Amino acid sequence: MGISKKDAALFDEDGFEDEDVNDLNEEISESESESESEDEEDVKLAEPSDKAIYNREGLEEKLQDVSWPENVGWIHKLTIDIDQEQEVDVNDDLKREASFYTQALEGTRQAFEKLQSMGLPFLRPPDYYAEMVKTDAHMEKVKRRLLAEQKEMQEAEERKKARESKKLAKEIQAQKMKERAKQKKEEIESVKKWRKQRQQSGFAGDVNDGELDLAFKDGKSFERSNKKRPGVAPGDRSGGKVRQSGGKGKKKKGKDFRDSKFGFGGRKGMKKQNTADTTNDLRAFNKGSNVAGNKKRKRIAIG
Amino acid sequence: MVKKRKHSETNAVEPANKDDNSTEERPKRTLLGWKDKPEVKDTDTPGVFRNKEKVLVTCSRRINFRYRHLMLNVVSLLPHCKKDNKVESKSSKGATLNELVELKSCSSCLFFECRKHKDLYLWMAKCPNGPSVKFLVNAVHTMEELKLTGNHLKGSRPLLTFSSNFDKDAHWKLIKELIVQIFGTPKEHRKCKPYHDHVFAFSIVDDHIWFRNYQITVPHNESDKVARGGLDKMTLVEVGPRFCLNPIKIFGGSFGGPTLYENPFYVSPNQIRALEKKQKAGKYAKKVKAKTRRNMHELTNALEPDEFADMWKE
Repeated sequence: MGISKKDAALFDEDGFEDEDVNDLNEEISESESESESEDEEDVKLAEPSDKAIYNREGLEEKLQDVSWPENVGWIHKLTIDIDQEQEVDVNDDLKREASFYTQALEGTRQAFEKLQSMGLPFLRPPDYYAEMVKTDAHMEKVKRRLLAEQKEMQEAEERKKARESKKLAKEIQAQKMKERAKQKKEEIESVKKWRKQRQQSGFAGDVNDGELDLAFKDGKSFERSNKKRPGVAPGDRSGGKVRQSGGKGKKKKGKDFRDSKFGFGGRKGMKKQNTADTTNDLRAFNKGSNVAGNKKRKRIAIG
Repeated sequence: MVKKRKHSETNAVEPANKDDNSTEERPKRTLLGWKDKPEVKDTDTPGVFRNKEKVLVTCSRRINFRYRHLMLNVVSLLPHCKKDNKVESKSSKGATLNELVELKSCSSCLFFECRKHKDLYLWMAKCPNGPSVKFLVNAVHTMEELKLTGNHLKGSRPLLTFSSNFDKDAHWKLIKELIVQIFGTPKEHRKCKPYHDHVFAFSIVDDHIWFRNYQITVPHNESDKVARGGLDKMTLVEVGPRFCLNPIKIFGGSFGGPTLYENPFYVSPNQIRALEKKQKAGKYAKKVKAKTRRNMHELTNALEPDEFADMWKE
């Protein structure tokens, strides 16, 4: 083999490479068109160069020299060989990493089984503290980054959701408006129809309740909203706000609040009417005045 | 039951731990201390194997920061290594390195050689008398990267997993043996810790050796023991570093000697860069050439005069 020739060239390898550059370039330029876009990592000769040395006997001899005695216990080596099921594509990062992961996981399982059968401890107890490879400061950084990433993801999701809900709300609103318009139209229509019918019949059946009922069957259009709010006077537009916050000193009053209190339309007098709640509200009668009355009475008695 | 088990385990663990500490604090106490120990052991059971591997880790001058960090990571992974100063890589590197290894009483060496601030070569050598392997290192990720979220005990012994294609060929076998000896922590090393919480994965894909380091996380229950089903719930978290080794040559001696193996597919990064440059440089010349060729073509096959050219002129 060409061992003796290459001996001298080991340490000035730069020179050695220069020698080869010329014929290498020829080889590469043949396949130039395909390999143009290749990454730096992946450049390889298309076919093995025939000058490469492979001294199998030498390698095996060296292996014999170097390797530990045959009967060395596994515990000294801790090595596990794992079969790779199929060829892995190097350029597919995910698959490659997954194969490494499964290799490591499978290996760990086997190793742990062996260790367990030997009865050796292999898991760190939670109260065993010792120096770690990465410092706490570094791990803190890692944690912060993870949290930040999570937060970012959450925020993005929220934004997306808000956008969607806005879209939906718009649609619903449009539909509602449409419906309302439709209802109004129908009502007008029905009134017209009723009037026409009455005209046709020559105002004969003046008290033709049946027809009337047809028009306003449920009486919906005349009835006010049937949401009855407790503690709210009939004319109060603020929905009881005045009464709630009336005694609570100076709060900043918004425009809508002031409108509701001082009126922006609506009946005023009804605000002062009692409702069942206000009559039952006995807060105004406090005990302090009672006591005072007693005193007075006493004084009178003395005098 | 549960409590009892816990006690027994902690008891079993502590003495070993104490031993570690005491030896670490007073390594020089030779009268009773560790120097006697191996001899006693040898006499106890003659021919017993004891791994006394020591690895010298060093790098060349003008190394890149990224590669330096990689080296430091490797140092933190190998409790049985000694880090040394940078070595001038140019001339007579092999001789000086051999001397250095001997001086430090190490048995193997990892030498990170950086060229042109770009290319990292890794030498793995057994020291007094070979062999040594030279790798090109690619795809380096250091432990400092925040993507790698795992962490493990410093100095716990790693499990080494190899893909089965290491047994395919003689040179892979040799490399595997070297890796086992250099990356495996000796069993009773004074700096090693008694548990196993990380695993190295060496895998050959595309004729490169890929290295990964994972932390092993097993869900603990109160008794500190793995539940029998706990091994199924085991997961791995990557700790780093990551790198990919492309073997270039195997030499018979340490940092020299006869070449036993040469990677037939290897192209040095220098050549790749030169080629790229050449391709880029050819751009203008190509353009000029194309232009002249076009001109020549037009001259040789001139267009016939168009007979309908002045038809609509009037």
